[in-house]
Amino acid sequence: MVKEPKSSAPNTKFLLMKLVDELRLVNQKLDSLIELNRKMLKAQEEMQRVGTELKLEPDAMSLLSLPMSLRKTVMVLYKLEKATAEDLARETKRLRPVESAYANQLVRMGYLSKKREGRDVYFYIESPMEIEK
Amino acid sequence: MKEKAISIHSSRGGTGKTVIATNLAAIFASKGLNIALLDLDFRAPSLATVFSKGIKGPVRYWLNDFLNGQCTVEQALVDMSEGYDLKGKLLLGLANPAIEAIRNIMEKSRAWEVTAVKKLFSLRSTLFSDMGIDCCILDTSPGIQYASINAVISSDISVIVTTLDSLDLKGVENMLVELYDAFAKKTVVLINKVFPETRIWSSERQKNLISQMEKVLKHPVIGVIPCYCDVLQAERTSLLAVDKPFHPFLKNLEEVAEKLERSI
Repeated sequence: MVKEPKSSAPNTKFLLMKLVDELRLVNQKLDSLIELNRKMLKAQEEMQRVGTELKLEPDAMSLLSLPMSLRKTVMVLYKLEKATAEDLARETKRLRPVESAYANQLVRMGYLSKKREGRDVYFYIESPMEIEK
Repeated sequence: MKEKAISIHSSRGGTGKTVIATNLAAIFASKGLNIALLDLDFRAPSLATVFSKGIKGPVRYWLNDFLNGQCTVEQALVDMSEGYDLKGKLLLGLANPAIEAIRNIMEKSRAWEVTAVKKLFSLRSTLFSDMGIDCCILDTSPGIQYASINAVISSDISVIVTTLDSLDLKGVENMLVELYDAFAKKTVVLINKVFPETRIWSSERQKNLISQMEKVLKHPVIGVIPCYCDVLQAERTSLLAVDKPFHPFLKNLEEVAEKLERSI
């Protein structure tokens, strides 16, 4: 901290030094705000990542809590391992767009995963044994 | 019958599920069908005891090992065809009766159960496509447990074995609504251990009993088998269909087998 000179006459040097001190304080506060903002952004990204990677196990007991329409899709995937909406529709005897909507709903709920292979999108039950590893 | 899986289930223990499953397997195999009989009652395994006389040497791999990914389908099956002089094949998949294995199954996670049901589907696919099996019979654990639900999901038709005991019937009623209807699975009910007087009932009276039960359970009743004391008292290592092929219990079960074949 700059000490005030005893003379009452204006001291330019003193004023400048005081200004530098004030600026240093502002700079420190800005640095802490930038650091706080960085941490908040990181936490937000982490929350989004956890949200999209959250997987639920479509085990037999869990299936009982799903509506029949969605349960049917999961049961077909037990058998087929991986399937396009068209493959699913063939098994469930429902329309392809309907089946696609159900499978995507199950993906959003975390029960199924999907991946693109060429032009096709495949739905599958992620191997829980891999999750456990 | 080609490439069909039948699960044998009950709401409570002691309904005669295993006697039905083992003898049904032997009846089908004696007709020349290739059968795989799987013990999915991992908490109270029984097929290893029932077939203990016919199993040669120690069992190297169990169904538990297959579900754990420690052996192949072929390694997990024991071929009993020679020992019982049947026209068709009889392959057994045994649940490990060791306490350690039962404890291990009880500690499994939900994630493991998902893998287990997928493995059951791959098992039936290998049995039917690569091993020439015509019918796979799954002897399940009673009530609603993972092993029994997994069996129901992976089978084409379920036979629920019940007695006329009110607790059994109430349990079956609940299971039919909560489990079987929920999975939209083809289901039939088999009434076992019915009071002995029914043995001499006219067919009309038996039909009336079936019709009454169908009204209560709202599902088809595939047969009514009277209680035979000698079946209950028989040594559990005796396979009735092989040791006493002319027993009236088997005549009843043969009729059930025919109806089952027709319904799938």
